This record gives sequence, structure tokens and C-alpha cells, in this order.
Amino acid sequence: MWKTVLRRVLIMIPEIIILSILVFLLAKAMPGDPFTGSIGPHTSAAQIHHLKEAAGLYNPWYEQYWNWVVHLFHGNLGTSFQYQEPVTRIIGNRAINTLWLAVFAMVLTYAIGIPMGLYAGRNQNKIGDTIIRVYTFVTMSIPFFVILVLGLWIFGYVLGWFPTTGSVSATANSGMATTLSRLQHIVLPGLLAALFGTVNIVQYLRSEVIDAKGSDYVRTARSKGVPTGDVFRHHILRNSLLPIAAFAGYSITGLLGGSLYTEMVFSYPGMGLLFLNSISYRDYTVITALVLLYGILNLFGTLLSDIILSAVDPRVRIQ
Amino acid sequence: MKKTKFALAGAAALSVLTLAACSSKSSSSQPSTAVKMAKSYNASGSIDKNATIKAAEVNDAPFKGVSDTVLASNAEDGDVFSPGLQGLFKTDKNYNIVDGGPANLKLNRSNNTATITLRSNLKWSNGSQVTAKDVEYAYEVLGNKDSDTQQYSSSLEQIKGMTEYHSGKASTISGIEMPDGEKGKKVVIHYKHVTPSMKRSGNGFFWEYAEPYEYIKNVPISKLASAPQVRKNPIFYGPFKLQKMVTGESTSWVRNPYYWGKKGNAKAVTINVVSSSAAGSAFKAHKYDFTVGTTGIAASQYPTVKKLSDYTNVGSPEMGYGYLGFMVGHMNSKTGMNVMDKDSKVSNKSLRQAIGYAMNVDAVEKKFGNGLGKRATTLIPSVFTDYHDKSAKGFPLNLKKANKLLDDAGYKKKGKWRQTPDGKKLVLHFAAMKSSSTHDEEIQNYLQQWHKIGLDVQLTGGKTMEMNAFYDAIQSPKPPKNVDFFEAAWQVSSEPTPTMYEANAPFNMGHFATKRNTQLIENMNNNKAFSNSYRKTQFKDWQAYMNQQAAYIPESEGLTWTPVNHRIKNYSTSAADSNDSWATMGATSANPK
Repeated sequence: MWKTVLRRVLIMIPEIIILSILVFLLAKAMPGDPFTGSIGPHTSAAQIHHLKEAAGLYNPWYEQYWNWVVHLFHGNLGTSFQYQEPVTRIIGNRAINTLWLAVFAMVLTYAIGIPMGLYAGRNQNKIGDTIIRVYTFVTMSIPFFVILVLGLWIFGYVLGWFPTTGSVSATANSGMATTLSRLQHIVLPGLLAALFGTVNIVQYLRSEVIDAKGSDYVRTARSKGVPTGDVFRHHILRNSLLPIAAFAGYSITGLLGGSLYTEMVFSYPGMGLLFLNSISYRDYTVITALVLLYGILNLFGTLLSDIILSAVDPRVRIQ
Repeated sequence: MKKTKFALAGAAALSVLTLAACSSKSSSSQPSTAVKMAKSYNASGSIDKNATIKAAEVNDAPFKGVSDTVLASNAEDGDVFSPGLQGLFKTDKNYNIVDGGPANLKLNRSNNTATITLRSNLKWSNGSQVTAKDVEYAYEVLGNKDSDTQQYSSSLEQIKGMTEYHSGKASTISGIEMPDGEKGKKVVIHYKHVTPSMKRSGNGFFWEYAEPYEYIKNVPISKLASAPQVRKNPIFYGPFKLQKMVTGESTSWVRNPYYWGKKGNAKAVTINVVSSSAAGSAFKAHKYDFTVGTTGIAASQYPTVKKLSDYTNVGSPEMGYGYLGFMVGHMNSKTGMNVMDKDSKVSNKSLRQAIGYAMNVDAVEKKFGNGLGKRATTLIPSVFTDYHDKSAKGFPLNLKKANKLLDDAGYKKKGKWRQTPDGKKLVLHFAAMKSSSTHDEEIQNYLQQWHKIGLDVQLTGGKTMEMNAFYDAIQSPKPPKNVDFFEAAWQVSSEPTPTMYEANAPFNMGHFATKRNTQLIENMNNNKAFSNSYRKTQFKDWQAYMNQQAAYIPESEGLTWTPVNHRIKNYSTSAADSNDSWATMGATSANPK
């Protein structure tokens, strides 16, 4: 298996190179540049020209691309035009914020979704299952940003239980206070994301459990007199988790993607907003770095999912 | 900070509009905002010296965190650092520089010099003196060829030796002198010419902040924007010093013990970024005292906010306006001069005027801007009470006049649409920038108005344009074929000389250039213009001339407004109070009421 994994990793190299060229070209093909629109009565066109020249924006694309690659191998992703600081530092700061929120939300999502899905599948058409189904239909049909604004308004502003903006309090000074403040700030957005992000898990699990309940190996186990609890734990649960496991790789590498709506409503500086703003402002250095990062993460996510799946399901082998 | 910040913004920034049928007619020639707001607020009761003022910066993106005014390229950074950032000069209510701030300014017309004298007790928040070198170093950072600044301008090249320094030929700026040495308190700047605009803040000829030279001298200028001295632990000489910054989210401030003036009335200040979607709710929940900066709460949330009993809305006319620009020429890329084209589709001023008179801006602003905007009547916004021509009527809705103008100019109708005077088909392309969906409705309404007078006006690309695509199109030296006129907005400086309409201005995007225009703009800053009455006459004549030429049609003006909590004392929008506003402001209770 490890040979295959290595081969897959090696295949990724040309994939990443092609991806980086495409990203570079597409970013340059967009109308405008990082200085578009930032003009005023005292702005000197000559100074803007000078800044563009200094940034190499007038060079042919292949020259710009080559420079970028050379810098990349020196661990330098360039300086953001918009933020005027190294791209690695900006992405680093935002990635930390995003990870705090995403890990919390993901853990909660699985912690809520898996028991709910299993319970609903096990108790198909009973009152509990009906309640869970109504819950998933409701959460699926309400747009996420509406939930966020509503949640912020009720729990943040009306009840005042949670902080309403940012990732940490402006007045938290000590290390401990900062950590606690960070936790406080991710509870509401994380909880809302989890409560309203469980639909897929619940629905997948529920249908898998229902399918598994009627399968031959379960019937065999039952006919052998295996207690219901054991049948559930040892036969149904493991098989039902396969679709969830298939996506686990993506979920882990997708943690860095950020959530645009959450970040916007809660003024939470994460990767989602960074990506959106970098596109709006034609912040080429940030766009290329982020797309490349996401591309690499996706490639690894696929691989990771395959590895996890093969670990969970002995029938699956990576050849 | 606001005084020296400029940005070209979408017209929607001036007016947030909702779905419009826009059938109501208005022929008022003296527009005013439907909403009358107080210009200041002063709570009753005494100031609680232990209170923290809580301000909101309404923004859907995290702020960048560049505390250095020379290097910052956006208004938000200026907003969140405003408790510490203090302009060097105090102004009167009309933005004229007066004595009494951190520094005094003296212009000498015979020597063409500006002398800046710092207060003897002016200190940075780390306790070190603000010196002549700190003032001078700002020009070094501005002019350095490796600097990232976007603020370097041709106005600064009026300083002797600046061009040589900027090109790298000289290592110092020969025209900046420190008569008492670097540690002294006096700086003399030698100009090629001293102009009347220099009497006013925001003129662009000198920088109105200092750089803490000793604190940042070891950082190469090219790396300054990302240095910790600018990003993490900046120092200021304003009434508050930075206690903590969470990049992109918030800044918190405590009194600057070294402040030159009366110590801040508040014990501390916090400024938090709040998303536009949550801003209304935040004020409803009494989380903040007021907003900072010009973005503020969206006009669409005004009906909710105005009902809040513990807040009074305070506002003043915005330093900016929306306008229509007509592509009447092109820019000669070799000479850098704008040239008028006789064969431009919109070269006929009657056609341009008719387009202006067909617009129902009054109705749109009153009905759909929640009364917070009004029709602009000239290209000098009404906030400049000393230069804005109050008697100018602008382009109030008058379809009859619009039709007559077109008829008289020979734009005869053939079927539904009018033709050119020489009988050719006339299709005009109008470019507008995408902002909100409500702005799209506003644009559709204007198209409808123009169709009423028989002009076949079509939206460039069939829809409003994304910001970058829009500016890419209208900024090109030769206007693209599918843009005949456009809608945009200017945010202006507190010195109102309209340099962006000069013949050599690269951002004169309609390329309007006439001798009369050049002459009038030059007159605003010639020697005679040191007489205020002469200068006012030139401004008035220019406004009348531009309205008559209609190459740029003033469209709308907004209000910069904020709800102010009833615990706040000494909140003022007057320019006369702005220099030390953070020091004088206070709160009468521990938390917003």
C-alpha cells in the first residue's frame, strides 16, 4: 500500500505544477490589478506605475511565474499587495483562527451528527426518528447565513450569552485570558455551524443503518442469537460509517477552507474572507498561494480518504 | 486621518437604494436631505473618568493594521487607529489650519516656505520627544523610491529636491531644513511655490503626521509596512496609546500619559470591527456608543436605528459625491494630456445636459435612500460651506427641458429613439459599477428616465460591472467603444481644489479639457487667490462652468452619520473639534445606556 501512496504523492507533483500555472494565468486574466480603483485627487499615476513596475506586474507572465516559483522554493510566497505584509504571515494568522473554529465545529458536528444518525436509523419511523428528520429538513431548508444572523441576534445581542464579533476580546491581555476568550468566541459560531451542518451525516448514517439492518450478515448474526446491542456495535455501526469515513480525508484537509458566511457575520478573520477579499482586490500573491494550498490539500484529502477507507473497510485495498 | 485619505468609490457608497418604481416627480431646485441630523451630541451629567468608550468600525472585511499613515492605503486603518493618530495641525470649522494643535504652521509667500513648529511638550506615547526629524522623516518615507506608499504625489514634488530624492539621485531632500537640528522642534520646507490651498488641511503639499524616527530608524523603508513597530507595537502622540490590537478585529486604547494636552476624558477606548449585517442589531443591543469612519451603518438600517431611544443620530454632509462622467475625449499617452474629441458621441453639451435633466435624483434619494442622501448640485460638495455654490441648481428633473435641449440640438426622433443631428442611429452605452442589488434598480430607473426622452441608452455589458472590470474600462487612455458615459463617485479631501478635473489629471476619466477649465482651476491657487473672496469667486465660476459644460454631472451626496449613545459627552462632527476630539469626548456612565 505504501508504495502506492508514494506513487500517488509523486503523481501529485506534475498535478501541482499544472495547477499552479493555471492559477497564475487565471489570476492574471482577471480584469484590473491590485492598484485598480485606489486613486484620488492627489494620487500620482506615476507613483502607481512605479509601484506596479517594482512589483513586476508589467513583466510577461512566464517571467512573473518563474520569479514566483523561485521565491516559492525559498519559502517566500511574496508580499500581499493589500495587506502589505508577507503572505505566509497573513495565511498563518488566518489559518490559526480558521483552525480553532473549524476543528471545534467539526468535532461538534460529528458529536451531534453520528449519534443522531444512528439513533434515527435504529429507531426508524418512531417518534425520535420523526423529530430528527424534521430537524434535518428544517436545517437544510434555511439558508445558513440567515441562521447565523438570527443566532447572533438572539444569543449574542438579545440574550448576551456570547461575544458577538471577532476571534478574541480586545481587552484580554494574559495568555490564559486570551485562550479563554478565543474559546468563548468560537462557541456560538461553532455551535451554529455544527447544529446546522449535521444534515449530511445524519441522513447518510440513517439510511446506511436502515440498509444494514436488513442485510444478510445482520440477519445471520441475529439468527445466531447475537444480542441486539452487539449486532449494532460490531456489524451495523462499522459498515454504516463507511460513507462518513470516505469523506473524512476531505473534511480534515478542508478544515483550512474557512467559512465565508460565519466569518462575515461574526467579523471573524479567517481563510474564507481572506480568499474572497484577495480575489476582489486582485491580491495576486495571496490568491495564488491560497489556490495552490487548497489544491494541494484537496489532492492530499483524496489520498487520505482512500487510506482511511481502506483502514475501515478491509474489502477496500489501495493497489 | 480622514482629511488626507482619498479613494474613488462606487456611487452606491453614497446612496443605498431599494427597489424603485421612481415615478414620483420632484422639481425642487434646492435639494436637501429629508433627514435633519444634529451636528453634535452632549449628554447631561458629569463625565465618569473610569468609563471606556466603545466604538464600532462597520466593515465586512478585517482591517489591515497598517498604523503608519504614510503607508496605509485604506480608510479603515485610519479609523481604528484614530484615538492615537492626531493630525499635526488644528483647523477651524472650514478646515483652515489654525494655531493650537500639536504643531503650528506658518507660510511665507516671499520665501516660498512653510515653517512647522512643534509644541515643546509634544511627545510620543513611549515618552520620547516628537522632533523635527520625525516630521522630516515622513517625507523621506513618502519619497523613498523603495517605499510602498501610494501617497506620493506630484504635489509633494513642489518641495525643492523631492524629485531628485524620489528618483534616487539625492540621498536627502534638499528643500527640507531643520534649523535647530534633528532634535529641534522646527522644520522649514522650501517650495517651488506657496499656494493658497496650503492654508488648508488636506492640501497634499505637506504631510500632516509625523513618523517616530528613533523608533523605526533601523527598519529599511521597504520593510516598514510589515515591521512590528508599525504592525504590533506602534507609538502615537495623540491622546490615547495603543494597549492591544487584535489584527483585523479590534484595537484597545488607554490614556497616553505623555499627551501634550488635557488628558483624555475617557479611561479607555475600544474599537471593534462589526459586519454591516450585524451593525443595526449591535446598536439595538447597546453594544457600542457610536461608529467611527465614513462607512457607518447602511442607510437601509436607518429606519431601525432612528427608533432607538437611547441614541441620537449625529451627522454631517459626506466629503464626497456621486457623478456622471462623459467620455468626451482621450488621453494622449505620450504627453499625458487629456484631449477632447469632436467626434465623440457625447461631445454635444446639450445631449449631456439633457441626460442630466432627465434624471429623477431628488425622488430617488428622498424615497429610496431613506432621506439620507440628496441630489448634488455642483462638483464641489455642500460640506465645503465656504466654497460650495449654494445658488447652483444642478440638474433637477425636467423632462420638458431635456426634450427641448435635444430637439434644439438636432437630435430628432425617428420612431421611438432619437438620431444624431446628421441622421445616424444613436445608441449610448452607460457603464455603472455593481454594488448592491438595490443600486441595480436605481440604474434601471435612470435608463427608464433616459428612454422617456427618446435616448436609446444601454447598460455596458447589459448589467452593472464588477469593480475591477469597471475601472479597467473607464481608466483606459482611449475610452472603450462600449462606454459613452459612466457613474462613479469621488471621496474628496478637505482642501477642495478639484485637481482631478485638470487637463493633465490621469483620473479625469472623461478626458474633459478646455482652456477655461484649466484657467479656472489654476486661478483657485494663483497669488490673487490668497484673497479669500477672489478664491471663492473662482470656485463659484468653475462650478457654474462645469454645470454648463455638463461633461461631469453632479449626481448625489450622502451623509456621514452615526447613532451616538446618550452617555457620550462632547461628540462633535465639526472640523474645528476634530483635532482633539478623542481627548475631549467622555462618557457619563460605565456602559452604553
